[in-house]
Parts: sequence; structure tokens; C-alpha cells
Amino acid sequence: MSDGDLATPFRERATRALGDRFLQEALTIATTKFITLRQEAFGDYPEGEALRDRARAIKEATLQHLDEHLERLIDNVERRGGHVHYASTAEDARRIVLDIARQSGARLAVKSKSMATEEIHLNEALQAAGVTPIETDLGEYIIQLAHERPSHIIAPAIHKTKGQVAELFARELKRETRPDPEMLTRIAREELREKFLQADLGITGANFAVAETGTVVLVTNEGNGRMATSLPRVHVAVMGVEKVVPSMTDLAVFLAILAKSATGQKLSVYTSLVDGPRRGGELEGPDEFHLVLLDNGRIKQIAGTLREALYCLRCGACLNVCPVYRQIGGHAYGYTYPGPIGILLTAMLEGPASVKDLAHASSLCGACADACPVRIDIPRMLIELRKDVADKRIAPWSERLVFGAFGWLLRHPRLYRLGAPLARLLQRPFTRGGRIQRLPLFFGSWTRTRDLPPVAARTFQERWAELERSR
Amino acid sequence: MSTRAEFLGRIRAEMAKTPGLFAATPSARPDRPRERLDVLRRELSERWAESLARFVREFERVGGVFHRVAEVAQVPDVIASIAAERQMRKVVSWHPAALRLDLAGPLSGRGLQVSAMPGAEVTAAERERLRAVVAAAELGVTGADLAIAETGTLVVVSGGGRPRSTSLLPACHAAVFDRDVLVESLAQSGLVLEAWHDGPESDARGAAINFITGPSRTADIELTLTRGVHGPKEVHAVFVENGLAGGSRG
Amino acid sequence: MVTCLGDMFYPEVGERIVRLLRRLGVTVEFPAGQTCCGLPLFNSGHHAEAAAVARRTVSLFDGAEHVVVPSGSCAWMVKHEYPGLMADAAGRAAAEHVSARTSELSQFLVNTLGRRRFHSAVEGPITYHDSCHLLRGLHESQSPRTLLRDLAGARFVELAGADECCGFGGSFSVRLPAVSTAILDKKLANVEASGAACVVACDAGCLMQMRGGLSRRGSRVRALHLAEVLDPDRDAS
Repeated sequence: MSDGDLATPFRERATRALGDRFLQEALTIATTKFITLRQEAFGDYPEGEALRDRARAIKEATLQHLDEHLERLIDNVERRGGHVHYASTAEDARRIVLDIARQSGARLAVKSKSMATEEIHLNEALQAAGVTPIETDLGEYIIQLAHERPSHIIAPAIHKTKGQVAELFARELKRETRPDPEMLTRIAREELREKFLQADLGITGANFAVAETGTVVLVTNEGNGRMATSLPRVHVAVMGVEKVVPSMTDLAVFLAILAKSATGQKLSVYTSLVDGPRRGGELEGPDEFHLVLLDNGRIKQIAGTLREALYCLRCGACLNVCPVYRQIGGHAYGYTYPGPIGILLTAMLEGPASVKDLAHASSLCGACADACPVRIDIPRMLIELRKDVADKRIAPWSERLVFGAFGWLLRHPRLYRLGAPLARLLQRPFTRGGRIQRLPLFFGSWTRTRDLPPVAARTFQERWAELERSR
Repeated sequence: MSTRAEFLGRIRAEMAKTPGLFAATPSARPDRPRERLDVLRRELSERWAESLARFVREFERVGGVFHRVAEVAQVPDVIASIAAERQMRKVVSWHPAALRLDLAGPLSGRGLQVSAMPGAEVTAAERERLRAVVAAAELGVTGADLAIAETGTLVVVSGGGRPRSTSLLPACHAAVFDRDVLVESLAQSGLVLEAWHDGPESDARGAAINFITGPSRTADIELTLTRGVHGPKEVHAVFVENGLAGGSRG
Repeated sequence: MVTCLGDMFYPEVGERIVRLLRRLGVTVEFPAGQTCCGLPLFNSGHHAEAAAVARRTVSLFDGAEHVVVPSGSCAWMVKHEYPGLMADAAGRAAAEHVSARTSELSQFLVNTLGRRRFHSAVEGPITYHDSCHLLRGLHESQSPRTLLRDLAGARFVELAGADECCGFGGSFSVRLPAVSTAILDKKLANVEASGAACVVACDAGCLMQMRGGLSRRGSRVRALHLAEVLDPDRDAS
């Protein structure tokens, strides 16, 4: 299954993913590995906990003066000869990038990994406008060739076997090789080196942007961020407004915890700080630098229930520990951002109705909040989204009826207590050997795979009188 | 599309609706970063050997190859042996003033083709030509503006005579440095970044600062680690004990 | 607080707790009219209803010196969410009063009563599953382990992935039954691999889920509440 098909109900997409044996194995191996690496990295790093608190505080403090920090960022970028653009919607952002491409006569664009550009569906728009976008992050390159969307924020091709990649390269690139990651990487290096050298336009995201200096920061392991910002003559960075950080001192705090959270590395191989077009006698570097500031639902959350989700560093740690993500993978979620934070981001970008099912794709276990480097309380916001869905009557009326009735019953103890004898009556035909193995209708969702205990012959409340007397 | 005023206006409108989630401040920034950095450097120079030991540990842990020589005059030999071991012939390097050592001279006549990058601004045509030279090169030699012990990271600042491509395009990268650029931690590197951006000199340097922590890598295919995806497959650090030219000891 | 699941499905657990606490010299009262702490309403976003239930529950336990709860999730609901659900200052104060006096069973035994040593009521090795709300909501992973490690006549083995969710999640277990079951299968694979004769949990929801799975697969391993492995009638020393 390649794309999350939104016409199919989420429950079906999830069940389909559960049946995909290779996906299940890949998810278990990959997420377990990432979890172990992250735990080892932080285990070795006593300052880590305090830095996480610091990082969270910096994110909150930045939001409290977001306008000032963005103003400073904009002024600094422009002072260095860069151009800043303002995209309220995904449509705006696409139009801005297309305009830049058109004005610079670009035909070929190389892209460094950017969830923001995924979010706005930039590639399709570029293609339609006659600009060929080439993903250069190996995982993104693979899924681009396969016409798929990424299934994990950090490891987009986690769901593909090396055999599948080898077949893909043979089919799409006409390059045959053994299904060996070393060989496959070499092919990708050669193919993409050509593209980097030929490209007119480099498109990236921004992990951070330092307001004090007008610097865009790109974190990669492969070097494609450096390539895309050095070789083509135009560089465009698309960045969510929440990515701004006040100073270089703040940046150092985030760098200390980002890679550790994502992959367990102390630092990613490349952290590139770029502040505008080529200067100072440089041989490389773009002639033009454009920063596209992206809203797309973020600004509304400054005072919204999802404000905390704006702290997100896009590290993927929450995906790796989520019991639901670990079972169904990224595609089943159906939107750009999967996993726990993905549900919140989807609500942010697409509105609460889009997550009427996804908000319930969680057992509220809290592992995500534990793993999050900036301690985002994801479960709290999932419950808020559920509340939103209930309040706005987006949830089905049958559900609201059931919960409303349940709530009423809980405040009427005498009627509530009638529930026990009633249940005992109703369950009789279904109880065998002290357990219930099959129930009709809705209750069958439990009994299809699990036994259910019968309601006790005497509830605790019914026994209490005796317990009182016996003391 | 919005204008700057519209966009920021909307942000301000939303901000006005809420005091935020909790009281918070960004990091305290150093008052006079360049002075603070001078003080830090003096302190670090007392314990450079520890910093170096830690750097070596972390650098090797991320797959770097470490070399140590006593005198700068011995550096060309190290470069020559790296190249010879890998049957590499084409070498590119920073301009000697940026590198703080002369490579082309000592390496000429040893079967190596060494191209030093120009120090001053060149024509667009020359830039094209040089790009092809660097892309064809097998080994790129640069200096290092910072060496972070905590993470085994080399930091290179771009500019005239010190292009980005030297440490990026060739399959092998070697960085030559001495004790003056050692810092202990990421936090200290934050201070360095503050200092580097403080004052008008920051306009004279290039537009890219790169932190390099080991060779280019990916684990995108079945989580199997491979090196040399887009950047170099190997990174070498050459430490000159008695300092490079023009430094605190040179 | 017996909890809705405890009252309906596991009354014997409640009984054992009463016997145990009485043996330890605690006067146990059971305020009549208990129904549910309201967590299912809260988790599914029906907060007005949850607040009404919370208000009623607070008034039921108003005079209590200690409120002991056999489920980590219910204890969490009372301690963590009750005050915030109250719209008025008086309600909040009353909720905070109760919430400050509420603890989950193992916390009560170890931290409040200072009692750690008990006899095991079961045979064979015992392992422990960390319920999510107890572990991450109440930051409690030590008290149950202290009790199980110090259990006379039993051997404690640590469970691989003890801190991983069992897949219950309240209504999650029936909204997404296939996913819930897949998560459960992973948990039970770890339980069976541990070599334990039983897995202990401090939450009725986790028990319902794990017991339901173990029973369906005909496993010899039992899923038990903490109170079922602590012998209420024997002193340890």
C-alpha cells in the first residue's frame, strides 16, 4: 500500500497496515533501534534533562515575542541581500516558490529534506509548472522514485526493503545492482551528484532560523543540505514561522538535544548555517536567497489549544515510542505528518474535522510526551481535540448519545446499580466457563480477539454490607 | 500572498489573545561576546591536551581518522600518505593563507596534482572551471575554524580562499588545525558563534558556516549504515602540535 | 474508591484490599453511591459530563483522611485532573483537598503505611507491567516493584518492555480493536518470554485487557492485580 487513501476509513487503513508483514517487521526493528539509540544518547548525557527544560522554555519564550523575533530575522535576512516572502496558505507558498522559479528561469530543482515542502505539496506544483524537483535525501529520493509519500519523519523509506530499492533503481534509473545498501547508496550518490551540479534551484526547509543574525540552519547527515545551498544559483528555504530562535546561544541548546532525540547521535553529520547569498569572495553559494515564511494554520494556534505543538522540532522521537505508530506505520495516518505529533499538526493544518478519527488513534499512554525533547504534552492536546470533535458535533450523534447517557447514569447511583443485575441477566447466554467469548454488535469488537469477564455475581457494593458486618 | 505588515499583524493579533503557557525567557546572551571568547580561549589553552584527547575519542567514534604531527612542515607528508594509500592523485586545498601552510610547493613532484583555491574574487567563468576541478578532485584539504571536543566536530567558515566545496565534493576531506581552535562543548561553540557574528568583520566572511561531525552517512535503506552519500566518505583531522603559521605559537 | 471496573468485574480484588488494610490496622470505610471517577468521559472529550461526575465524587470522599484507589488510571484522574475540571474556586479547593489525600494502592502501602514486606499468595515467578497512568501520570514505578521484590515466597522477574502500553486505553480498545490487540499481542509475547507464572498490574483496565488476551490464547500465565498476590492474612516477618 503506497499512499494513505483518505477515502478509506482510518480503521481500515490501520487494519491493512497490521496485515503487512514486512511493514510490521520493519517498524519493529527501526523504532526499537531508534528508541535504544535515543536512550543511550541521553543516558550518557546528564545535562540532557536540564537542556530539555531549557529548550522548552526557549520555544515558549519565542512564541511570547514571536513578532519581534520574526522582525529581526526578516531585517537581518534582507540586510544580507536575501528576500523574505509571506505565505499564509499552502497555496500562497506554492505560488511564491513557482514565481521564484519562473523569474530565475529554473528548470531543475534539487530539494533537501523538508517536511514543510511536503506539507504544502510543492513537488506536484513544481512538476506541473515545468520545473523538475529532485529529492536528494536518500530516503526521500527512493520514495519519490516510487511515487509514494514518506512514512516516517526521519526515515521516510523505512517501509522499503533493499530488494525493493534495488528493483526501483533498476526500473527508474536503469541502474542494475545487487540489493546491497552500499551499492545502492553509491548509485544514488552518482545520480544525485549530477543533479546537484546541474540544478538551477535549491529548495530546503529550515530546522531553525536565528533571528539575531538572519541565519537559516539545516541539519542533515548526508550533505544534501550543503549541496542544495551551495551549488545552485538560487536558494529557497521554506520555513514554518515557529522555527525562529532568538540567538546563537539558543541554537546551541537545540543542537545539543535534536540529533540525540532523533537518531541518538550527539550531532548530525552536517549542521549548516547559511545567512544569505554568496559573498566575501566565495566560489560557491547562491546568487539569490529567498526565505518563505509559512503560516498554513500555525499562527491561529498561537492562542489556540495546539500552541504547545508549535514547539515541535520534527525529531520523530514520539513516532518511535508510540504503540499505535509502531503497529501501523506512517502511511495509515493518511496525512503528511504521522504519529502522535502528526495528529496535532494535521489538526493545525487541516482543521479539527480532519482528525475526528485520528484523535482517537491513541491509547493515551503518554510515551510520546516522555520522549519529546521539548516535553510537548501530546496526550493533553489529543484529549482537547477529542473534546473539540465532541463539542462541535463532528463526532457521530450515536457516540454523543452513549457518552451523554453514561455521564448521566454515573450521577444517579441507584439507577447505575441496576446496571449490574441487568448485565448479569443479559450476559447469561454468552457466559461459558466463567468468561464471555462472543458478544453481538458493537461489543463484538472486544470479543473478536479477547475474552471478557462476566459482571460479577455480586459486585463489590453488593458485598459491602457483609464486609462491614464481618469486621 | 501577504505583505510583511499583514502577516506580522496577524501574528500580533493572535499573540494579544494570550499571555502564553508559562513564564519563560530565552537564553541569557553574553554581553561582550568577543571579549568573553578571548577569556575562554585563554582558559582553554591551559587544558588543551584534555580537550584534544576528548576530541580524538569523539572524532574516531563518528568514523574520523586522526593524525598528529609536531611541526607544520610535516603536514604535507601526512596528506601525501593519505592520498597514496587510497591511490588518489587529485588534491584541492584552501588558499595557503587560509590554510596557514603551503601544500602545493612541498607536494609538487610527488605524483600529486594539487590545486589551491584562489584567495580573491574571480570571474564567473573561472568559478565554473574551478567547480569542475573540485568535483573531479579526490581529496580536499581545509583548515578548521573550530574543533569541538564534546562531539568530535570540525567547523569550517566559508569565504575567499576557503570555499565550501573543498570539504564537500571530494570523496576524502582532511582538515588541518592546531590547539587554538579547540573548544570543549557545544555550549562554548554557541559563544563562538555569538562572537563571530558580533561586529562588522562578519560581513567579510562567506555566507556559510559548516559543522562537520564525521563522514557523510545515511541509514535510510533498512537502517544499514553507509558512508559517503553526498559529502565525503572519509574525514581526516590533522593536528599540528606546535601550531600553524600565524597562530599563537607560529 | 473501588472504581467502576473493580466494582463490576473484580469485586474480589476490592475485598482482598479491605481485608489487607484492616489487618494492617487501617479503618476502612466505603462511601456509598460510588459509580466511576469519570475518566472515560474525560478521555473522550466529554468534559462537562466528566466535571459533573468529578464534583459528585469529590463530595462523596470529602471527609476521608486517605483515599485508596486500586487503579492507577483512576487515581491519576482524581489527583491530576479533578482540580482543573472545576470551574469555581470552591469546587477546585474541594477537589484539591481530596486529590492531595488520594493514592494508588501500592503507593499507600509503601509510602503512607511504610509496609513493604508481605507473603506471596501465589506460586511461581512474578513479573510486573507498568500501567501508563501510574507510570507516567503519577510517576510511580518503584512502589509496586518494592512490594513484589520483597514478597516472601516469590521470585520477581523484570518484564521486557514493562513500560510499554498494553493497548487498553479505555474506549481505544473497542474503537480500534485490531490495533489494540496487536499492541496486546506484543505485551503478551513479552510476558510469556519472561518465564513468569503471573503478571501483576495495578490497573483494572490493563488487567481486563491482558487477562482477556491470555485467556483467549489458553495461556497458563495469569494476569493478577497486586492485591491478589499479597497475602492478606499472613505477616511476612
